[in-house]
Amino acid sequence: MTAVQLALAAAVLAPLVAVAVMGLRVLLGDQPPSERETVRTIGAGLIASLSAALGVVGAWAGAWGPEVRGDVEFGEWLRIGDFFIPAVLLVDGISVTISVFAAALTALIARFSRTYLHKEPGFIRFFVLLGLFATGTQLVALAGALELFFAGWEIIGIASAFFIGFFHERGEPVRSSVRAFATYRLSDAGLLIATVTTFELLGSARFSAFERAGALPPWESTTIALLFLLSAMGKSAQLPFSGWLPRAMEGPTPSSALFYGAVSIHAGLFLMLRVWPVLEVSMVARAVGVVVGLSTALYAAAVVRVHTDAKGALAHATLAQVGLILAEICMGWTTLALVHLVCHAFLRLGQYLKAPNTIHDAHRLGHAHGRVSWLEHRAPAVAARLYAASLHRLRLDDRIDWAFSPVLRLAHRLDRLDQWWRRTLSVDGAST
Amino acid sequence: MSPDVAVQSAPWEALLVCAVLLFAPSLASQRATPAWQLLGLAVALVAALFASTATLAYAAVAAGALIHALGAWPRSRTGALFLALSAVASVSAAAAMAGDHLTAAFLLSGLAVAIRAGVMPFHVGVAAICERAPVVQTEQLASTIALVFVHLRFVDHHAAAVELAPTLVRYGAAACVAAALMTLVQRDLRGLYRGTTAMHGGMLLAGMGAASLGNFAAALLVAVAMGLALGGLGLIITSLENRVGPVVFAGPGGRARTFPRLAAAFALFGGAGVGLPGTAGFVADDLLLHTLWFESPTSTVTVILSSAMLAVATLASFSKVFLGRTTPSLAPDLHARERLVLMLLLLGLLVLGFVPGALLGPADAFLTNPPL
Repeated sequence: MTAVQLALAAAVLAPLVAVAVMGLRVLLGDQPPSERETVRTIGAGLIASLSAALGVVGAWAGAWGPEVRGDVEFGEWLRIGDFFIPAVLLVDGISVTISVFAAALTALIARFSRTYLHKEPGFIRFFVLLGLFATGTQLVALAGALELFFAGWEIIGIASAFFIGFFHERGEPVRSSVRAFATYRLSDAGLLIATVTTFELLGSARFSAFERAGALPPWESTTIALLFLLSAMGKSAQLPFSGWLPRAMEGPTPSSALFYGAVSIHAGLFLMLRVWPVLEVSMVARAVGVVVGLSTALYAAAVVRVHTDAKGALAHATLAQVGLILAEICMGWTTLALVHLVCHAFLRLGQYLKAPNTIHDAHRLGHAHGRVSWLEHRAPAVAARLYAASLHRLRLDDRIDWAFSPVLRLAHRLDRLDQWWRRTLSVDGAST
Repeated sequence: MSPDVAVQSAPWEALLVCAVLLFAPSLASQRATPAWQLLGLAVALVAALFASTATLAYAAVAAGALIHALGAWPRSRTGALFLALSAVASVSAAAAMAGDHLTAAFLLSGLAVAIRAGVMPFHVGVAAICERAPVVQTEQLASTIALVFVHLRFVDHHAAAVELAPTLVRYGAAACVAAALMTLVQRDLRGLYRGTTAMHGGMLLAGMGAASLGNFAAALLVAVAMGLALGGLGLIITSLENRVGPVVFAGPGGRARTFPRLAAAFALFGGAGVGLPGTAGFVADDLLLHTLWFESPTSTVTVILSSAMLAVATLASFSKVFLGRTTPSLAPDLHARERLVLMLLLLGLLVLGFVPGALLGPADAFLTNPPL
């Protein structure tokens, strides 16, 4: 194994090993591990991951010899006959940027949380989830093929759901967690379908194979691009999937900062950058992306004006910028989008972490009366309607519930039919 | 691994997984299965996996089903009768093979698998076992894997199998989505287990349909992943119900603080059942989708959506069972033997998740070369 392979493997696996050690310790030990032990174990994994990611950057920049660019092979993950899925990581400008950025922010949040969550009942759980999240982000950042990318993508989604439901003794975080997870999984179906479709149409799910996307018939490339877009919309809370984001603020502040200010919320945008060759050849998907991005930005900008809680307002401010970045990507300004993404993530991380202080400052300084806006002055009725719509967040959750109600009705009917069928054939005196 | 070694090792690897599942409930002290039953089942497993003729293999599988039926009888007569029906279908498949009626053999063998795996609408027996005796279900999953192995080895190579493959794939996908939809509206933990089992049964049937195009190892991996994940889930449900009685989704359960290890194990095995990355479930789902695509892209999309729905149902159930205001209980968390057994099953899931070639390579070499 070469040094680059070792560094790449360590960047992805070091946090996972730390999580496994903690898992074994919890499962087999008689006493739960202490806070110090937890921080040391998970912290070691995160630091190792960050160091390895920096090493990969060095290799990419040619600091330790010839520049390393492109796919780095780790053999085959699995093979059946001629069909195989490679274990391949990708070293390029985008992957090393996101890898170091995510590793650094996760390590930073771990340090912050050590004090912030001191003596919190879920301290160990938080750090285990943080380690899991770090593995997911590194896999997403460095994956060279869609299968590995999807694995990381899923891990991020699962960690996110558990972070939202962190304060699980209250009902609302738990409900929000299930809702966010449902949105993730349903939009992830788009990524999975796109993965299988890409493999079958391009003969490989490697990102490097996407260069051949231009040779696909337009409807095929458009279908794949739209599926990727759907998945990105779910993960980055773009309209109409924006409803879960304010609910996600139920989690602890450090995880909100990392997930919905910095890393996870931008994962959909990273996906769009990664599959850019497919997006580039599909004008329809790009147009849809621009419309979705700008609509989300407008929606979030309207909602943020009426939000009365700090984290909720920050969430919508984040959403507005994420919408703009999506529009930038779909307009072809990918470098600008990458810079915008990284700068925005750092800014929001700081703002989220300062949110509790901001609330304190606001109380100290008192509330300032806002100026009457141009719209309120010229068209008060429209302004009032806009205010009410923003206050209810366009009733997005209600609309999604309404859209899915036929599915649930069908599920209930099927369940009743199944009960009847089992009662009919049962000789137990069925207790269905 | 050289091809010769691979060809010889496949049944051993399958046997290892089956043996872990078969002995798991007894090792975890959840059920005092009579020693003669366990011995009989072990012999039946060995005979099924190592048999050189279809007749012997199906006879062994049928004998295993009958022993399971005896075990299930005191708790669920419906389950026992359906297991016996599966035994009859297995023996009939062997007879049809001997008479060179390959289409009939394929259909009968498929029926036996459908009954054992709980594919709708043949799931009545397995549903009853899931409700009344989840431990028996864990044990019978072991011999379901053996039955799938026998099916893939003896009847899935013929032209009849290729001809019927598209139908089987579509049927499996339809059964899968119906079961996934039902899991969304279950009102108790056993209902979730029943629905999850039926959904996996549909996936397995679809995988077996696609297997006839040369994807034998993929179908076997689906069966193994299903066995390990559902087996673990069955043990966890039994452990929980031994402590708190039947679990109904009447409100937040609040058991995570009281039983943290049980909660973690439920999350892991439930996750493995819906394709948690790093577990065999993820690899099995991924492989299955690639193989299904050749037969029917619509079925592929259906299975993907079903898996998403099951994932949502699993998390929702987890939250209803374990999250919420803490419910105090004097019962202990998982004890050492239960933890050990769950660790073993989890190890199997993780090994096959990270190194799927350990099973896929030998299975591919073994199953793509049918006995003459």
